[in-house]
Amino acid sequence: MLEALHLDWSIFAIVLGGALVTWLTRVGGPWLIARVRLGPSASAALEATPGAVLVALVAPAALSRPSDALAAAFVCLIARRVPMVVAVAAGVVAVVLLRSLL
Amino acid sequence: MSTDTLTIPASPRQEFALGAIHCLPVMAGAVPFGFLLGSLAAKAGLSPLDMGLMSALVFAGSSQFVAVELLDKGTAGLAVVGAILLVNLRHLLLGATLEPRFRGVAPARAGLALFFMTDEQWALALRRGEGLTLAYWYGVGVTLYLAWLASTVAGTLAGALIADPAAWGLDFTFIAVFLCLLAGFWRGVGSLPPWLASAAAALGAHALSPGGPWHILAGALAGGAVAAWRGRGQGKGQGKGSAGDA
Repeated sequence: MLEALHLDWSIFAIVLGGALVTWLTRVGGPWLIARVRLGPSASAALEATPGAVLVALVAPAALSRPSDALAAAFVCLIARRVPMVVAVAAGVVAVVLLRSLL
Repeated sequence: MSTDTLTIPASPRQEFALGAIHCLPVMAGAVPFGFLLGSLAAKAGLSPLDMGLMSALVFAGSSQFVAVELLDKGTAGLAVVGAILLVNLRHLLLGATLEPRFRGVAPARAGLALFFMTDEQWALALRRGEGLTLAYWYGVGVTLYLAWLASTVAGTLAGALIADPAAWGLDFTFIAVFLCLLAGFWRGVGSLPPWLASAAAALGAHALSPGGPWHILAGALAGGAVAAWRGRGQGKGQGKGSAGDA
């Protein structure tokens, strides 16, 4: 159990640095946007940003192979009709089946 | 009496509990993800304490995967911190969209609350819209935080027990959760052009720099640019921006 409590100081320094820059990205958004007045196109861009970020997050992995793309399309179809936990579980079952077939 | 109790607004305690409940499906995606990260960290030579401190202080999954991968390759410390920053730059965009919700919150309280802002936290918070309370925010955030901490440390303790998570489809939970969150942002066919632009840009950037965080920035910028262009066109006609369909 002693190895579990071993602390590597060089890794800890990286963790502290990573924690600081990550926290700055988290508080930076509201801080910056409160100091800038937005026109209609900037507002439209900000409104579209959440969906665009989610699309960008999933697109490379979801389209990496046919089985995953089909399972992703299946999740999109059921996402608004069933609770999220059901959609996620169905998606995982679908991807396992499709990966064994395709 | 009973009608009175129905009109009483939710107490902070109820709001916290509601946040924790809404967090459960997200946890189903985060816990296997955290366990996988922990087992990879063990292979990279991190102790459970190293991993626990990283999850407790950084608390940003994708960037932790990148950091663990770079540590495994023996990358210099500053480059690892730089990579963490790049992966998390998207937080600027997420936080900017939450600004109206945090306008009345004192800086110190907002600084603490925003520490808990992850992709999942942000999506659930935005879905609450005007009804978002700090208690709900912490209900989601603290639940996800504890689940993330526990699953990553457990994964490091278990080491390489999960040899091939893809065989169980567990890697797909991440995709499925984000697709469900995305469905919540569907506002009719007007949502499609920015999303298609984002997908195209993300795929292009990912092909050029696989494993890097650039596809997220590229997708966000492309989607935002298309929306800005469309918003300006509608603004000329009616003075009512594309925000009208939101």
